[in-house]
Amino acid sequence: MGLISKLIGIALAAVGFVLLFFGMNDTSTMSYVYSFLGLLVMAIGFALLTAGKPKEEKLPPPTITEIRCNNCDFKEIRDFKKGDYILKTVEEACPKCQTGMTIEGVYMIREEPKKKYNV
Amino acid sequence: MCTARACDKPMSCHILLLMIFENVEIEAIKRIQNAEDLIFMQIGATDEFSGIIQIAFFAFMMLFMLYGAKFQLWQFLKQIEVGLAEMKRMFVKSRQTAIETFKEYGHSEEEVAKELDQFMDYFTIMPVDLDPAGILKRLDHLLDVRRDRFQEFVADLAPESSGSMNQNLENTLEVTQVLGLIYRIVRHFYILGKKTGSQIMIMQIHMLMPELLRLAKAYFDAIGAFSQGKPIGDGIGPLVITKFAREFGATPESYTHEISKEVGYYTVETEGRTVYALRATGPGGTVGKPGFGVKNLMEKHGKKISRIITIDAALKFEGEELGRVAEGTGAAIGDPGPEKFAIEQAATEYGIGIEAIVIKEDEATAVGVMDKKILDTVPEVIERIKSVILKRTNPGESVILAGIGNTIGIGL
Repeated sequence: MGLISKLIGIALAAVGFVLLFFGMNDTSTMSYVYSFLGLLVMAIGFALLTAGKPKEEKLPPPTITEIRCNNCDFKEIRDFKKGDYILKTVEEACPKCQTGMTIEGVYMIREEPKKKYNV
Repeated sequence: MCTARACDKPMSCHILLLMIFENVEIEAIKRIQNAEDLIFMQIGATDEFSGIIQIAFFAFMMLFMLYGAKFQLWQFLKQIEVGLAEMKRMFVKSRQTAIETFKEYGHSEEEVAKELDQFMDYFTIMPVDLDPAGILKRLDHLLDVRRDRFQEFVADLAPESSGSMNQNLENTLEVTQVLGLIYRIVRHFYILGKKTGSQIMIMQIHMLMPELLRLAKAYFDAIGAFSQGKPIGDGIGPLVITKFAREFGATPESYTHEISKEVGYYTVETEGRTVYALRATGPGGTVGKPGFGVKNLMEKHGKKISRIITIDAALKFEGEELGRVAEGTGAAIGDPGPEKFAIEQAATEYGIGIEAIVIKEDEATAVGVMDKKILDTVPEVIERIKSVILKRTNPGESVILAGIGNTIGIGL
């Protein structure tokens, strides 16, 4: 739900509150109607305010394969391919010095948790 | 008779009294008018419906006093139901992943599904503990038999799979089985609680639900890693061992296989000490029997060995940093008992120290694809190992360095 629906929600909740208050201060039989209406409008307002899109299932971050040259500082990072494992010697030679390369890491970079506890 | 000094004359006293009464009357009228204010904020308070409102209010109070707990239980059951649906989804999805992985190795989807469903109920009965003598030996034997059955099942269901992939399939099967087991246990207590109306049963499962869901989610997220052979966080121990050994010239060829089941070691020289760097054989997913590996090495090299150092992933406390390295005393190995016992027994017999270096992780990181932060701890752990060897062993002595963990996706 967007910002507009949230604003409408706040407005409806406020209107509902006023109606409820009015109904409670009225001594006539109409007070039932006002109070019920106030509660209803307030409920709709709060429902709009708190409603949100169902949580989208987050896709896991991609698994990365890190390949390093055995001789120089050349480093290649690519997506994981089936059959990759850490310390596997890769077939391709280093484009810089033409020596062998090894998979030095297969990993995932996970998102840091947003919520921090200051304790 | 008025005795007040100020009113000598009865007439004036009477007037005064009248005036006072009049004031009181006016005040009373005002108060009655204000009473209407007092009954404001009560819906329809002054009309004939106010009685109904009062009855409704008391009915509401009585209802919640008598049936409040029932309402709460109903709420708990609904919440358990939501969690249970999520668990079922995870189990069904992981079962499907397992079927899709297995069917690549020789059998049709229907055959795989049928066999897999039968194997989902496979269980292990723990040895009797009323007479604890020799319980670890019996437990170890049962675990061996269980492992053999798993290997046999995988070999039958995936005849075209290689040795290393067989281990990964075994891990995939185990994860699916764990998810199925969690789902079935929670469902059991949910239905039983509903049937019997037992508050304690419902409340217990409701309270445990967040933790069970967290555990199930960690395994569910890990199934992809196991089915594709990606390294997991628990594999940091074996990875450290190989990186350490390679620093001192070890190669996959210098690795001595099968000191114990699926476990081998590198022999390297550092600062005048001989280090037997032991780990399970990868890159297939296995933890092997490193405890017995340590014991066998001790029996082989005897008194030359002056220290045992174990490296493993350990569960971190909430609030602790992921990938924090910690040191301690004892055998860092999370088996059901026999492996740890073998290490402790060997160390006690020879009177040598056991040290542990652990890398702190949470469940999701330990069973999921290795996190970059965990991988980045390797240099620090190696430095700590070197420091322990230098400080607490003498040149000419030997050290056993054991990397404990699942070797999936970690080569020799």
